[in-house]
Amino acid sequence: MEVQKEAQRIMTLSVWKMYHSRMQRGGLRLHRSLQLSLIMRSARELYLSAKVEALDLEAPSPPARCPDPRLHPPREVEVPAACVPPDGEQPLPEPMDTQEEEETLVRCSPRPARVCRKRRSSSLSDGVDAGLVPSKKARLEEQEEAKDSSSEVPDCLPPPPAQAEGAFPNLARVLQRSFSGLLSRGPAASPTAPPARDAKPACRPADPMLSVLVRAVVAF
Amino acid sequence: MGQAGAFTTSFLEFPRVSFYSVLPADIISTVEFNHTGELLATGDKGGRVVIFQREQESKNQVHRRGEYNVYSTFQSHEPEFDYLKSLEIEEKINKIRWLPQQNAAYFLLSTNDKTVKLWKVSERDKRPEGYNLKDEEGRLRDPATITTLRVPVLRPMDLMVEATPRRVFANAHTYHINSISVNSDYETYMSADDLRINLWNFEITNQSFNIVDIKPANMEELTEVITAAEFHPHHCNTFVYSSSKGTIRLCDMRASALCDRHTKFFEEPEDPSNRSFFSEIISSISDVKFSHSGRYIMTRDYLTVKVWDLNMENRPIETYQVHDYLRSKLCSLYENDCIFDKFECVWNGSDSVIMTGSYNNFFRMFDRNTKRDVTLEASRENSKPRAILKPRKVCVGGKRRKDEISVDSLDFSKKILHTAWHPSENIIAVAATNNLYIFQDKVN
Repeated sequence: MEVQKEAQRIMTLSVWKMYHSRMQRGGLRLHRSLQLSLIMRSARELYLSAKVEALDLEAPSPPARCPDPRLHPPREVEVPAACVPPDGEQPLPEPMDTQEEEETLVRCSPRPARVCRKRRSSSLSDGVDAGLVPSKKARLEEQEEAKDSSSEVPDCLPPPPAQAEGAFPNLARVLQRSFSGLLSRGPAASPTAPPARDAKPACRPADPMLSVLVRAVVAF
Repeated sequence: MGQAGAFTTSFLEFPRVSFYSVLPADIISTVEFNHTGELLATGDKGGRVVIFQREQESKNQVHRRGEYNVYSTFQSHEPEFDYLKSLEIEEKINKIRWLPQQNAAYFLLSTNDKTVKLWKVSERDKRPEGYNLKDEEGRLRDPATITTLRVPVLRPMDLMVEATPRRVFANAHTYHINSISVNSDYETYMSADDLRINLWNFEITNQSFNIVDIKPANMEELTEVITAAEFHPHHCNTFVYSSSKGTIRLCDMRASALCDRHTKFFEEPEDPSNRSFFSEIISSISDVKFSHSGRYIMTRDYLTVKVWDLNMENRPIETYQVHDYLRSKLCSLYENDCIFDKFECVWNGSDSVIMTGSYNNFFRMFDRNTKRDVTLEASRENSKPRAILKPRKVCVGGKRRKDEISVDSLDFSKKILHTAWHPSENIIAVAATNNLYIFQDKVN
């Protein structure tokens, strides 16, 4: 749990640094962004592996008794993992290397309905109908998602229109929205999910951190 | 006094210490001696270049021989705005490189993130007087009032040093320029940004050749960037570039027009015992320098300096720990952004000693022959004239001795990123934030 908390803290810190570096004079620096994304990826892997270990340790407990803290991490993984639509097909326009990031983010925002609906069954299985679906399947799924999110599998989403804005404007907006909640809670606090039972097919606003992190990682 | 270039105990005694301070707001961002060591150029965050010149020997003032005084100051780069990307382009001077002197004037290249400029620094000590068509203030005279003709003559005047921009090499880099390097043919130079290296001819500003391009077709596959690049000191076809993954590639421009495929690839296998969460980013090379002989390259990553033999690609021949006590503090250094600091490294004239900076205004020197090393501090307290620099020591644990400093007391805001060594003498220039220290070996 300590490892998870530390990894989470580092992830939050990295997102903050990414946002902050965009505000610097001279704009976003590629090298710095790459380094931050490497740290974020390592932190995420650490977080996920620590979580998987924690879940393995608690494996014998019946699914119906799942306490909230144990549930939240899996859901956080599922939703953002699915929100990662790396674009393998989009040809790179010159010199707007920043466009991939923008497209990635733009795609994320209007498309959560589709991808989150896909995950709805498993999040439901973890939460409400936990008794109906064996917990082992949920674990397998989330491990798969973790693998999926780390591999750059191209998604078949249509490419969004090109944005002629400055570097990473959408990233800033997304981060700003995410951060208003995150910062008030502090870097060490885990994002708390709203009642999972309503299970709306939309990316819940309360777990923005990992989704933002994953997007930022994919962009670089 | 020790032999020129040799590292002896006498080098630690600096009876004549010069100390210069530029305007407090301006952080020095680059320091470079010219090829003779007569001039020392500094660039700062405000886009200004300050050139120091060494005093000539004079029989009257023997004790003042060899001090560096301000020779010229000029504004090299101004802040710009890229309207297409809505980005401000910083005026900070990233690098200065001198051209070898070919006539009375001095030439240097200075670069910010996007634009390289060639500056000519020349002296004027005579002024033409006695023009017919204009008066002494330069105002045009009414031709009707001119009744006689005279020949203008050159009269001596107070020495004036003027800097003029002779070439502006712009619009060739999408990413931020991190290095420039003058070729040994003195006709071309290269500029490197995060993903590309361009080759320029000094005479041509509207064209450059792209010689290295590591941009992936899909930016999401980007895994490494170029961090530094330098031409070989003697072979005009050879250059090296370092990456954020800790690798160095040597390229030969004769092999092909685009040097994406390296001739040599230098990489040290990772030590599994040193693997940590931050391993990847501390292995990023921040500086690469050829030795004067051209036989070795030196690289600086966050914690070490490594010397590589060009003939051996699988590991460096020497590794020096700069501040290994920071290895357990990487998380805090990540939090305060210090882990991203880009330290430079330099060779002395004979390639026997290497120097690099650290924190707390410390800088380190390593003698490659005797394997001795020393930590020195650039501070006002020990920079009085005739001061002797005392070696410093960082206490890593256990009982701290009287004059040692503990790791937790180090001031990480005082960092020495930029240093320079005179090409033939034991004179070093150390930039500590906004102060420039020049240390000179004592004279008999």
